[in-house]
Amino acid sequence: MNDFQVDLDRFAANLAVIAARIAPAAHMLVVKDDAYAHGLEPIVMRAWSEGVRWFGAFDVATGQAVRAALGPDARIFVWLVAGSDDAAAAVAAGLDIGVGDAHLLEHVADVAADANVLARVHLKVDSGLHRNGVRPEQWRDVIARVAELEKRGVVQAVGIWSHIGEASDADDDDARQIFETAVDQARTAGLAPEVLHLAASAASFERPEFRYDMARIGAYAYGIRPAGGPAEDSLEVEPIGALTTSVLRVDPSGVTIDLGSLDGLPSSLAGRMRVHASTGQPTVLAIGPTTSMLEPWPGAAAGDPIVVFGGAGAPTATDLAESIGSIGEEIVLRVSPLIRRSYR
Amino acid sequence: MGDPDSLVGVTASALDGAPARRLSAPVARISHAALRQNVASLLATAPGDTIADLRRDALGHGVADVAATVLDAGIDAVLIDPEAAVHLRVDPHRIRTNGLPSLGAHELLGLPRHGVLAGTAVMSLRGRVVSTKRLLAGEGVSYGYTYRAPADTRIALVTGGYAQGIARALGNRVVVSIAGTPHPIIGRVAMDVCVVDIGDADVADADEVVYFGDDVTPLSAWEHATGLVADELVTMIGLRAEREQIR
Repeated sequence: MNDFQVDLDRFAANLAVIAARIAPAAHMLVVKDDAYAHGLEPIVMRAWSEGVRWFGAFDVATGQAVRAALGPDARIFVWLVAGSDDAAAAVAAGLDIGVGDAHLLEHVADVAADANVLARVHLKVDSGLHRNGVRPEQWRDVIARVAELEKRGVVQAVGIWSHIGEASDADDDDARQIFETAVDQARTAGLAPEVLHLAASAASFERPEFRYDMARIGAYAYGIRPAGGPAEDSLEVEPIGALTTSVLRVDPSGVTIDLGSLDGLPSSLAGRMRVHASTGQPTVLAIGPTTSMLEPWPGAAAGDPIVVFGGAGAPTATDLAESIGSIGEEIVLRVSPLIRRSYR
Repeated sequence: MGDPDSLVGVTASALDGAPARRLSAPVARISHAALRQNVASLLATAPGDTIADLRRDALGHGVADVAATVLDAGIDAVLIDPEAAVHLRVDPHRIRTNGLPSLGAHELLGLPRHGVLAGTAVMSLRGRVVSTKRLLAGEGVSYGYTYRAPADTRIALVTGGYAQGIARALGNRVVVSIAGTPHPIIGRVAMDVCVVDIGDADVADADEVVYFGDDVTPLSAWEHATGLVADELVTMIGLRAEREQIR
């Protein structure tokens, strides 16, 4: 039986490390994509009981699910809102909405006016990543419009935020300067944001000046270290998810396990990874669609448990990712949703 | 000009009060016309009993829907994962949960094998434009700034990232199509979005973006760019993206 085992006590320990490391900044726990494939509800419930109060949901459907799990007091941030219907659903669920586009600002204002509620928005300046976010030369126009909408009582700019590119410290310093300028301009225009947030996992740990009031952290909470970056032990976080399977049969040529590329193990890892068996770390020789072949070892038997990644003695998701030019998050997120999640 | 509130493509279940589709996620569209066409070709040449391989949720295409169509089109039986059997409303005598299939998934679902397409592609993947903006010469795009604009241009932020199986290795390597015209994905594919260079094309918010499945965007290009094979690519996409069955 294949299983993705999530250790919630280890998750709580990671949350404590993060809280201590970034204090007094708050931790927004990023839970998009089913809490990085770890299962949304168990993760947000445990995080809430550990004192996390901000949740980064990304999309409105996830935000609604967090609201349903945690009730009215959780602060839930969404930052990809696609048009008016999506904006109306976000407002109805009391979500904090990331706005990085003048069109979206108008959609949010319209639906808030229709619903006769005040929409909480976090304005995003494009500090160089060039995804979502208002370009700096258009920022003054947007904040002027926000100031008008605040006077009308339809939106409140509770936050200002951005994403950094992490191409180099110098590039990130440039991004932070753009962010600071944007915040100054917003305050001059009469806005009074309560929460400034710029950093995600890596910058929040390494660069204190990027923390501001809050850091949006997903990867480190799940114990996923950055590819090519610092090791788990220096970060003091540990992987909380372990992908496990078992031996199906043993032949002279190899040991077949019950997990293949259709279950989310990238076929490009064949020959480039080892797994954890009770007696050692056999190499994965071939990855087929529904089964894979390991190099044989003495005493291998059908039913033997195998840890593919994430558990004691096994490689981490990031170890696997580094051998194929990827990142740990992608390895974890490829674990098939058809595989059972279990919690301890 | 796209209409962000358009209901085009929204399934009946979304209008019936079932959970709404995530507009923020790309949509894997399953063409049952293509599926029936592939079945017809296979039946013309396959000897004896035909057993179609629909394990792993029919490679992410949706086992319940695909099983209904292929059995109706004349396939004798379907091989599925044991856990899926409870969800199928088809004659139990035509379900197998062990043994081997006689028909591979590639020909049935129209997937490339070693770069050659077998049959007609059943799945296509579609994102939508979230916003458009200018990008000036020298400016970088997405994490690590792996792309820098050689000249002033325009870019679109598009729904879909590696969490939905749009593999991270595709950044700077493949094109998408918007209104039939190819446009490159620039910079790293992020977890839920990517950025496309649209130049001076007439592209607006909510416009459809085809990742693969039309003439401009063959899935074989994804195999080449990622080192992964078509069956694992479409399985992960079908299981993680929103899914839409077009009968």
